[in-house]
Amino acid sequence: MAGDLITILFNAMIWAMATFLVASGLTLVFGILHVLNFSHGGFFMIGGYVAYTVLSMFGADIPLWAYLVAAIVASVAMGGTGVAVDTLVFRRLKSVDGVYVLIATYALLLVCDGVVKLIWGLNYLSVSPPRELLDVIFLGGAILPTFSIFVILSGVVVFLVLDYVLNRTSAGRILQVIAIDPWMAGVVGINVSSVYRWTVITGFALAGLAGGLLVANQSLSPDLAGIFILQAFGVVIVGGMGSVRGAFVASIFLGLVEALSATYLPNYPGVLFFATIALVLIVRPEGLLSRQATT
Amino acid sequence: MTGISRRGVIAGLGATSLAAPFINRRAFAQSGDAIKIGVVTALSGPQEFIGNFVLSGCQIAVDQINAAGGVLGRQLALEIRDDRANPAEASAAARELIGLGANLQIGTISSSVALAMGPLMTQEGGVVITCGAGTEKLNHENYNEHVFRPGDGPYMRMRAQARLMAERQPEVTSWTGLVPDHEYGRTTWAVYVDGLLQFYPEIAKADPEILDPIIVPYGAGDYRTFVTQAARSQAQGIYNSTYGGDSVTLFQQAKPFQLFKDRVLMDSANEFIVAGALKGDTPGHWTGIHWYHETNKGNPLSDQLYDDYVKKTGNTQPMGWVSEAHAGIYAYAKAIEKSGKSDTDAVIAGLKGLEWDTATGKRLMRAEDNQAIKDVELIYIEPDASGPLGYKVTDYVKVDGNTVIEPPTPGEPMTLRKPS
Amino acid sequence: MTIARVRPAIFFSLLALLVAGALIVPHVANRGVVFLSGVVAINVVFGIAFNLAFAKAGILSFGNAMFFAVGAYCAGYLITQQNHLPFVVILLAAAGCGGLLALVTGLLALRRASGVYFAVITLAVGALVHVLIMKLNFLGRNDGLVGVNRPIIDLGLVELDLARGDAYYYFIIASCALLVTLMWVLWSNRFGRSLQGVKSDPMRASFLGIDIDRKRLIALVLSGSITALAGAIYAPWAQIVTPELAHWSFSTMPLLFTLLGGSAFFLGPAVGAILFGLLDYATRSLIGISDLLVGGLLLAVVLSVPGGVLGLLGSLLARVRAPSSPRREGRA
Repeated sequence: MAGDLITILFNAMIWAMATFLVASGLTLVFGILHVLNFSHGGFFMIGGYVAYTVLSMFGADIPLWAYLVAAIVASVAMGGTGVAVDTLVFRRLKSVDGVYVLIATYALLLVCDGVVKLIWGLNYLSVSPPRELLDVIFLGGAILPTFSIFVILSGVVVFLVLDYVLNRTSAGRILQVIAIDPWMAGVVGINVSSVYRWTVITGFALAGLAGGLLVANQSLSPDLAGIFILQAFGVVIVGGMGSVRGAFVASIFLGLVEALSATYLPNYPGVLFFATIALVLIVRPEGLLSRQATT
Repeated sequence: MTGISRRGVIAGLGATSLAAPFINRRAFAQSGDAIKIGVVTALSGPQEFIGNFVLSGCQIAVDQINAAGGVLGRQLALEIRDDRANPAEASAAARELIGLGANLQIGTISSSVALAMGPLMTQEGGVVITCGAGTEKLNHENYNEHVFRPGDGPYMRMRAQARLMAERQPEVTSWTGLVPDHEYGRTTWAVYVDGLLQFYPEIAKADPEILDPIIVPYGAGDYRTFVTQAARSQAQGIYNSTYGGDSVTLFQQAKPFQLFKDRVLMDSANEFIVAGALKGDTPGHWTGIHWYHETNKGNPLSDQLYDDYVKKTGNTQPMGWVSEAHAGIYAYAKAIEKSGKSDTDAVIAGLKGLEWDTATGKRLMRAEDNQAIKDVELIYIEPDASGPLGYKVTDYVKVDGNTVIEPPTPGEPMTLRKPS
Repeated sequence: MTIARVRPAIFFSLLALLVAGALIVPHVANRGVVFLSGVVAINVVFGIAFNLAFAKAGILSFGNAMFFAVGAYCAGYLITQQNHLPFVVILLAAAGCGGLLALVTGLLALRRASGVYFAVITLAVGALVHVLIMKLNFLGRNDGLVGVNRPIIDLGLVELDLARGDAYYYFIIASCALLVTLMWVLWSNRFGRSLQGVKSDPMRASFLGIDIDRKRLIALVLSGSITALAGAIYAPWAQIVTPELAHWSFSTMPLLFTLLGGSAFFLGPAVGAILFGLLDYATRSLIGISDLLVGGLLLAVVLSVPGGVLGLLGSLLARVRAPSSPRREGRA
């Protein structure tokens, strides 16, 4: 029984932190630029493929340092892509209705799919976890794979770093000001456009980092973007759009919902997940922890 | 592999894609012209992976037949369209191709597209040969005389898998399933159970114990909750009908839990998909396959298909859908030769009851329900970390199709044994 | 952004032109093209119904696929299970279901969220509807409803057999023309103008005693039920209804038509739907790169002509007419 409980909690946490890794960049960009980036899942996927390419040099036996280096390479590569996307898309659409940006990011998602197919082909691919993380730990009758613990820790570390930067540094405070009133921020001398650029870079770099850290967590295929993007959207909505803390809490909450529904409602996977999102929206339309007031 | 074939396809299509839509359809129906066969298959979206094999199989068969002089002195020509695994796109493409004179069509993979094709072909006067569409409704509830399946139906495939287990693993009597949460997933499990309930008592002289299957969502990134449930199961055997990337993710996440270590794993239809992705991490498993070239070594059609495929794509591990399409094109060729004409009614008459040679041996297209009787092929895959592919096939068998196929009951749902 | 008014004479001559074009198609083109142009006609309604809520009331819905799917499933279910019902009743039932779903969605979310927030909520509701459709046995689960036959309309004295030949195609053209006219009336009459006021200056509108929430809700319900009607007309045309219709990616279609043609124009989504249909047809055998092509093109349109094709034409026309004062068009 204790083993069951630990297993459920543990499974919930892996789902939660994997999803949070993807959702963190999404919610960050949404919070500052108010852009809902459909293509985020696409850049997460490309990050995974970049890490795969780096790691394929090591064969089946991958050291942990190489795994981390691959994740950083993916992160840097996607951050660089973020510069291009910001210049070519977000900046050019700054003055028009938000719907244009939304549809532009959807178009970018299609482009990401196409690029992956052209470069890496259609074959399903996979990467083994690093050799240091192939073991399991037994805890009260539950089996905890060390790679899963690594995924959970990665999510927590990314959250702590983001939370520290956003709430304890001057850069973070500037971001908060811009999120609430970009016009006023401009008046008091903040270079809003440069802050926007760095936010996009960070958001994309987080997508790439998530792709690299999770490359051994699931298979790689051109479907990967779609698999994670709806999950991440759910987390961003429930957490209160634009709130990193909210996304963190929401990912754990929805992770528990997923694990419980899989355990106790095994015949209806997915129903409880979307029903919970709908319910949260009815009770608290602004999300669990909202930074934006929805009008 | 895919990059090469795609570029080839695009170059080849440059001309036909510009064919004007407004050309008078009678212009195409003159005799002496090439016989047009429409390929409507998934060439984008999640099933693109299979669609590429289907397309290669069609192209190889047409090249082989044309090189040997064509059919009734006429060449075969392919018109290729992408159905995006979507019934609406497929409908538009199928209708357009019929308008261009390609009343003979091939390539349907998706079950919902296959079901949409029946009424459409009746109305528009065409024929379609499916290439891997799984649904059992095709030769049961939704039987339509314009739709043919030259390959394994789910009834024969899953029952052959159960039969093989009763023969090879008579001691493995308790079974559970990893079943994707869709209509077809549940069907595969129900049929497999039917096979266990028939063949274990008959062959292994033991009553099988059927445990509740684990229903898993498809297209998810995390299957650990389901893996831990399965790991707790008392079952000695696991039947997997999850598919593609989902299977890869599931097997990958199952490894630390040693889910498959002391259990027999029977996989429904992944062929080399899982092994190709997981390589050295592949668990040893049986999988159903439409065609494996080693099993059919010595069959000249199979050897030629394999050589042509490797020459065309550079890939040395073709998957079985290549031969489904190849067999389908040959079925059209034989049916046209048999009836002497290429119009729809003549070809339907020619296909019904047709016996023809394919890369997997002789097949018989059953006249009653348009379902082929053919042998079901299975292979056993094991990891091979030092080998070039990371995995290798260590056993392969054929199960005689006649011993596992259902009697034809077009229009009726199939009836299955249920655990008491 | 100003919203172009359409004068009746211009509207009806453009509509007549479109209908005439559609009626010629079966005589000159093959079956596939006829099928596609039927789909395009339905897409025109799908797009304009979206834009009615979007351009007029500022409602960005990312869940229009669910309205379409609900209409299609409603028609599909009634045709396959209750085929004694007259087709008109089936269509009305579908419109009612779509309207009801829009009403529930609107009551839940419209008062609380606007803009992109509302879009995301409709996305979540749409995902729930999609999941539910795939779980419901009577809707055929993943396989959908097969054998949705084209109906026979009994007009008392005469029976119209829509299954015969191109009859259903002409029915689509006629009913879509009717729906477009209906939406044009809504777009240009007092209701439409008051919506306009709500969108451009909600504060002033509420001073004037207009109940903003109510107006927006009505706009959403109208949009939802007309979209459901489009879905219901579509079901017997495709003869199969599958869960793909409810998938969120299908909700991007009306947006795409609208942006492609120009959201400021009543006929913008119509132009967008027709252009998209042509593009889809022209690229139908350029297989393997369709994602890249559609994505790249969409991106190019959004980035280079955010006013849509009609917006571009409009500003070109303005430049031709007033070459000496280019400033004026910038403000229009």
